[in-house]
Amino acid sequence: MELARIEKLLDAYFEGNTSLAEEETLRKYFSQNEVAPHLAAYKPMFDGLTLAKQEVSVKEIDLPQQQFKVKRWWYGVAASVVIAIGVAGFVFSEPKLSQEEQEALIAFQKTREAMQMMSQNFNEGAEELTYISTFTQTKNKILK
Amino acid sequence: MKQKEFIATVLPFKDKLYRLAKRILVSGDEADDAVQEVYLKLWKGRNKISNYKNPEAFAVTMTKNYCLDRLKSKQASNLKIVHNNFQTSENVERKIEANDGVQLVFKIMETLPEQQRIVLQLRDVEQFEFAEIAKMLDSNETAVRVNLSRARKTVREELIKKHNYGIS
Repeated sequence: MELARIEKLLDAYFEGNTSLAEEETLRKYFSQNEVAPHLAAYKPMFDGLTLAKQEVSVKEIDLPQQQFKVKRWWYGVAASVVIAIGVAGFVFSEPKLSQEEQEALIAFQKTREAMQMMSQNFNEGAEELTYISTFTQTKNKILK
Repeated sequence: MKQKEFIATVLPFKDKLYRLAKRILVSGDEADDAVQEVYLKLWKGRNKISNYKNPEAFAVTMTKNYCLDRLKSKQASNLKIVHNNFQTSENVERKIEANDGVQLVFKIMETLPEQQRIVLQLRDVEQFEFAEIAKMLDSNETAVRVNLSRARKTVREELIKKHNYGIS
């Protein structure tokens, strides 16, 4: 019965009408050491096809190295950021004076205050002088 | 697509491509070159490869076309090389040599017309479904079955002829 089925499958096989599962059955049957004598001629065919699948490629595939792609626009962004930081630093940073310069600045302010005080006193003095000019005018009136 | 991802996608069927290339070109060295070329092409188009539903079928079609082109250009320049080295892997080689009948089957396969050889390879060696093969070969299932039937019958006839002479 088994043999009858194999024979039937074989007929279908050569007509191209077997499914993958049926072909697997055939390969399995012919992979045995003992097959029916009148089917022995087919054994090398199925053995060969099975063996053909065991062949593997031994050569490695050589792919070009993937190049590290730097996106161009990054350059522009990076440069802009650097420039922006530079400008901002220049604009916003307070000028730092050394100890000596600070002392000089304080001395300058004090000097200025002193000078202003002096000029104020001079002005007051000058106002007092106007009385003298009034005195001169009155004297002239009387003593023509 | 990164190289790692690419390799994970396409490397599993490298041996299938190699065997197909060898079935068509016969020479193992030529098959190696063909596979290398196909992979380079796949690599160049790697950003599209994820769009294909079935990268394997796509690669098989590419391999088939490339090998047939190679054959054509070789025949055109009268450089038809005759190689009998249907072995690369050593253990397979020994197994084939140990069996006269199998060796004969391989020889017969080399004499088949290319289309039949391709169909026989894809169906009986790689065990693809008819629908898949039809798609790979840009053909239809009926044509695939007809070609396959012819290929199988030719192998059978040659085999029985030799068998009756008492070689096997």
